[in-house]
Amino acid sequence: MAYSDKVLDHYNNPRNVGSLDKGSANVGTGIVGAPECGDVMKLQVRVTEATGIIEEAKFKTFGCGSAIASSSLATEWLKGKTVDEALSIKNTDIVTELSLPPVKIHCSVLAEDAIKAAIDDYKKKQGVPAAEPAVEVGAH
Amino acid sequence: MGPVCWQCSGLIDGPLFCGACGALQSPPSDYFAFFGLGSKLSVDPAALQKRFYELTRLLHPDRFTRKPEREQSHSLEASSILNDGYRVLRDPVERAEYVLRGNGRGVNERRTQAPPELLEEVFELNMALDELRSGDQSARPAIEQACAGFEGMLAEADSSLMASFEAWDSGGGDTALDRIRSILDRRKYIQNLVRDASAALTAPVA
Repeated sequence: MAYSDKVLDHYNNPRNVGSLDKGSANVGTGIVGAPECGDVMKLQVRVTEATGIIEEAKFKTFGCGSAIASSSLATEWLKGKTVDEALSIKNTDIVTELSLPPVKIHCSVLAEDAIKAAIDDYKKKQGVPAAEPAVEVGAH
Repeated sequence: MGPVCWQCSGLIDGPLFCGACGALQSPPSDYFAFFGLGSKLSVDPAALQKRFYELTRLLHPDRFTRKPEREQSHSLEASSILNDGYRVLRDPVERAEYVLRGNGRGVNERRTQAPPELLEEVFELNMALDELRSGDQSARPAIEQACAGFEGMLAEADSSLMASFEAWDSGGGDTALDRIRSILDRRKYIQNLVRDASAALTAPVA
């Protein structure tokens, strides 16, 4: 199965690979994993506390091209958004942007879960109660 | 009234043969019913093996060459169920998956989650595997240590599996099945990690 050009672009030139200081109060870290394929994804955001705006987002993903592209794209989208806007990113947006085929939809779900986990972690550090678990879409 | 023999119209008492004329009946497709062991997840391997050998002898095609065509076809069908069933029932994981499938809890019937408490370790393991694959031998001890930890978790999963088999057998119902499903998912996930890590450890040095 061929990857779309956008997936290949993110796969060959992943944006924002790396890590942020996990211990820092304004950094949220989310690690999520797919049970079927063993993919594991770490996504981190650094937030300006006064404005709630995500100034930096980093990821490291062990997985297939689509998983890498999904998380790379997610970090691009996260930068400049507020934490609440970040939560509105849906896996279906990623599917559309990257033209992911049905068998790779779970990669986009993983990326959405990673965003939510990172934001939750940030909110927890800031003393905000965690959001309700999201309704899962488009999975298996 | 129970099922009736296709040949002599006598009542069938056992799962396979007519008690009156001895004719082989259309075999049940359920493995537990076929082996006549009761549908309990805790299975005594010795009793199962004994029953398998016994049925192998009773169902051997040679015994049916001069029998009616209908019985010959039952014997073919029964032999195939016998072998498939033995393969499934002798293995605790396969056996549990079989029962779960029969109760709407097959592997692909809903979305699973990777065990959240393991993710950090899994991430670290992947980092180390990357280093090893790129030729950094100093990553080896960390991977070996992680593997040993995961092997220990597999052993724990096996004993909780046996405990939940007993829970199901003594009427644990849906709760027991859900528990078995989650143990099997966790077990599979860890097994894959160990498999990938072992492959990297034994791969020829680049």
